[in-house]
Amino acid sequence: MQARHLIHLSCLCATLGLARLGCAQTPEAVSEKDYLGDVPVVLSVSRLPQRLDETPGSVTILDRQMIRMSGARDVADLLRLVPGFRVSNSFESNTPQGSYHMGLGDYSNRMQVMVDGRSVYSVYMQGGTGPGLQTVALEDIERIEVHRGSNSAAYGARAFLGTIHIVTRDPVETQGVQAQAARGDNGIQDSLVRLGWGNESGSYRITADRRADLGLAGAAGPARVHRLNVRGDVRASNVDTLEFRAGQAVIDAGVGFEGDTGNAQRTRSNTASFVQLDWRRSLGVNEDLSVQFSHTDERVRDDFPYTPLAGLTIDFGGRAASDNLSFQHTVRTSDRVRLLWGGELRRESIASRPLFNTDSAFVTDFTRVFGNIEWRLHRDLLLNAGGMYERSSLGGEHVAPRVMLNWHLAEGHTLRYGLTQAFRPPSTYEKYSNVRYYLNGVLQDSTDVSRGNVAAEKIQAREIGYLADFPQFGLNLDFRVFEEDVRGVVKRQEYSLPGSGGNGKAYDYINSEDFNAHGHEYQIRWQPWRSGHIFFSQTFVDSGQSLSGTFPTRPYAAMALMVMQQLPQEASLALTYSQVDASVFPGQNLQSPAMSRTDLRLAKAVRLGKQRGEVSLVVQNLGPAYPDFRSDFYFRRQAYLMLRLEN
Amino acid sequence: MKRLSRRLLLSSGLAWLAAGGARAAESAVVIVSSERSAAYQEAASAVQGELVRGGLAPREVLQLTAAEWAAAAPPVARLYVALGAEAAGLLARSELKAPVLCTLLPRAAFERALRDSGRRASNQFTALYLNQPLSRQFDLARLALPQAKRVGVLLGAESKGQQAQLEEAAEARNLKLVSAQVQPQEPVFGELRKILEEADVLLALADPQIYNSSSIQNVLLTSFRARVPMLAFSPAYVRAGALLAVYSTPTQIGQQAGVMARSYLQGRPLGAPQYPQEFSVSVNEHVARSLGLHLEVPTLTERLRRLEKGS
Repeated sequence: MQARHLIHLSCLCATLGLARLGCAQTPEAVSEKDYLGDVPVVLSVSRLPQRLDETPGSVTILDRQMIRMSGARDVADLLRLVPGFRVSNSFESNTPQGSYHMGLGDYSNRMQVMVDGRSVYSVYMQGGTGPGLQTVALEDIERIEVHRGSNSAAYGARAFLGTIHIVTRDPVETQGVQAQAARGDNGIQDSLVRLGWGNESGSYRITADRRADLGLAGAAGPARVHRLNVRGDVRASNVDTLEFRAGQAVIDAGVGFEGDTGNAQRTRSNTASFVQLDWRRSLGVNEDLSVQFSHTDERVRDDFPYTPLAGLTIDFGGRAASDNLSFQHTVRTSDRVRLLWGGELRRESIASRPLFNTDSAFVTDFTRVFGNIEWRLHRDLLLNAGGMYERSSLGGEHVAPRVMLNWHLAEGHTLRYGLTQAFRPPSTYEKYSNVRYYLNGVLQDSTDVSRGNVAAEKIQAREIGYLADFPQFGLNLDFRVFEEDVRGVVKRQEYSLPGSGGNGKAYDYINSEDFNAHGHEYQIRWQPWRSGHIFFSQTFVDSGQSLSGTFPTRPYAAMALMVMQQLPQEASLALTYSQVDASVFPGQNLQSPAMSRTDLRLAKAVRLGKQRGEVSLVVQNLGPAYPDFRSDFYFRRQAYLMLRLEN
Repeated sequence: MKRLSRRLLLSSGLAWLAAGGARAAESAVVIVSSERSAAYQEAASAVQGELVRGGLAPREVLQLTAAEWAAAAPPVARLYVALGAEAAGLLARSELKAPVLCTLLPRAAFERALRDSGRRASNQFTALYLNQPLSRQFDLARLALPQAKRVGVLLGAESKGQQAQLEEAAEARNLKLVSAQVQPQEPVFGELRKILEEADVLLALADPQIYNSSSIQNVLLTSFRARVPMLAFSPAYVRAGALLAVYSTPTQIGQQAGVMARSYLQGRPLGAPQYPQEFSVSVNEHVARSLGLHLEVPTLTERLRRLEKGS
């Protein structure tokens, strides 16, 4: 009996990679076998990313240095650096979010967000990107790759106007213990504890963290995010890797307004949990196969009593889930051709009596097949041609093709031209919403009652890109001119619905707007000297999108600058400045003024005995308070002090 | 071809055993391989090829494995060639009247054979190493990656003795050495991370404590993420994902050993242990492309050869 327990324990230890921790093998003596023997292929075809001048589109990479030195507390805060992005720090409609080229909305749902290859857009919140951006602690992020522009061909329907891919750190690089805590103005109380361990056959990590403050000035109240994330990478054999991830993020935010009976002050709680399993097999230097399964679960609790009618509760809560099974095969058929193809089965389900007036779940099945060929037509000419076919019970059948040609004009100079077509199927809510308010079985009022005629939004985009690299000056430029033709944008529209209670009117979601957006944007990375980095970006968009029915559209510009400098004595300084033109508030039908924000971070490495660490002081928004999301929500100057220790 | 030569080796060894070992006629050269695998066979064939070109009849070259050598009394010969560390150790412990040329083994393995047998390197017991001189590896780093100023090296139990030579080789080329020693039993990653923060190129030195088929995945992935390319010591590492490597193939080693053997048979001394003259450079084109580098193997090899000849 005891022996069996021991066996179980040792199995568990082996699984967690603990078994060989204390008994590393005695090193062997060097011999000719080290020179003549074989070793497994590591940087196989799918592990080698495309060079930025060979990708089919513009990509902004926010690396660890930028993430850490920015002093940002949310991924959304970092997106203000990326050309074309508008960002809000508000938790009012969901969580801090960003939108590319289109105006910010309640959910900003025209982008794909992925964390380590898993789609994390919120099924419950109409495909909104905010909650997904909160999936992991910033400290666990290796880099954020932002693909600017439509990319459904590679990342599925949600990549209507861009993809944010959050890549977490390899657990090999997060071994040991790390703890950090931040305290500051506006009730900032962030903390993190991370434990990493492993050996050559596997590495593991557990991270628990909290991000908490009092929210925007004027908003209802505190915003708290609690996260727990686990990751384990196991080398099952010389050619197989298994990766396991699981986590939960609980986002509690004070929303609504005191005295507003239809939108009372309350705490909205959004819990997202997931498990993800990846299996990668190297089939040689030129061929890889990967399979991924994931399950994501979302629960939203958001209700308050409707005071004018005792006994009536206004509720926006419910639950949603998604299951994903996908495979991808990457093969280099010759020095000139690299082929990637795969398929995906996805099931989304959403259940909410308040939103759909039924307890049954709405289930949508997606079947996707995708492929891309990277074909070197000539030494200096690379063609990326690909596409995705999607069939869903919600949006019907669609094909999203993309063709992109990269021409290396000269060493370090690349011209890119491409055409893309993408689509966004309507969300379950847009298609089937049925929000009714009953009191004692009698219908009192109805708000959103979809008639189900909404179809997918479509986009056709053209772009010309120019990339220049001047290694002698440490300078790199990415310039993009674009034109985006958007058709059938889904909008909420009032219609007459007799018998719906209240004023006999309800809202439907219909494809009601076509618009064209064109403009240009660029980013410059410059390392003028070894210890300094500068990032600069600018955007000019002339968009016909009507952000409000009241105000005329007008061209829109934005810019961002980040300067990072290492100082003597292991200190560092970073200054981030961003500025956006006047626009319309996402949460109010009012014009928003031009806004700018300057953040400063000063850090110094410290040593406490054997432990290394860092003390940093961050001041966000050195200038005057600016309105965010609504005219009465303000981002005020706030400073915080953080201590980080690791061994 | 390989299979055929392997069969030849087998048959010549068996013929020797059948003939009663030492009672057979004296061979000019006896080649003893640590084992009977392709690399040893390639080297043995190249040695024999050079000897035959020098006028020896193929039957005057006897090929044995270490196991066959140990199974019978040593055959008499004018020269013994040991291929690999095991064969070198075996011959070092044998009382032989003729000199021994150890090859297809790294310098550290040869020196271990000397220590274990109490011998000293001499004209009677010498070596042609398999590994490359540090100067060649540093020169290649400079030629392939002219921007790289800091060379990172991870040292383990087997390679820590080279610290001083590394410093010297780096200094001579105006490069900075960033080295760290990994303690036995300790994982490689901690020190690797520190090295990668500073180094522009990671020079891999063979040491099974640091580089083995279990550790290579993490080392290569981590250094690639840090955009620090690896200059390795074997083509297998290049295939795995190192940017480039300089090494000598078993055939190149065998040919040079054959030339040395021929020269000895013609009356010249074997000389002191030496590094291989002929070498190959191999580049992982895909890794190079991904790192934005354009490296041409023939040009690099040629420039490296010219540099060595000039010095």
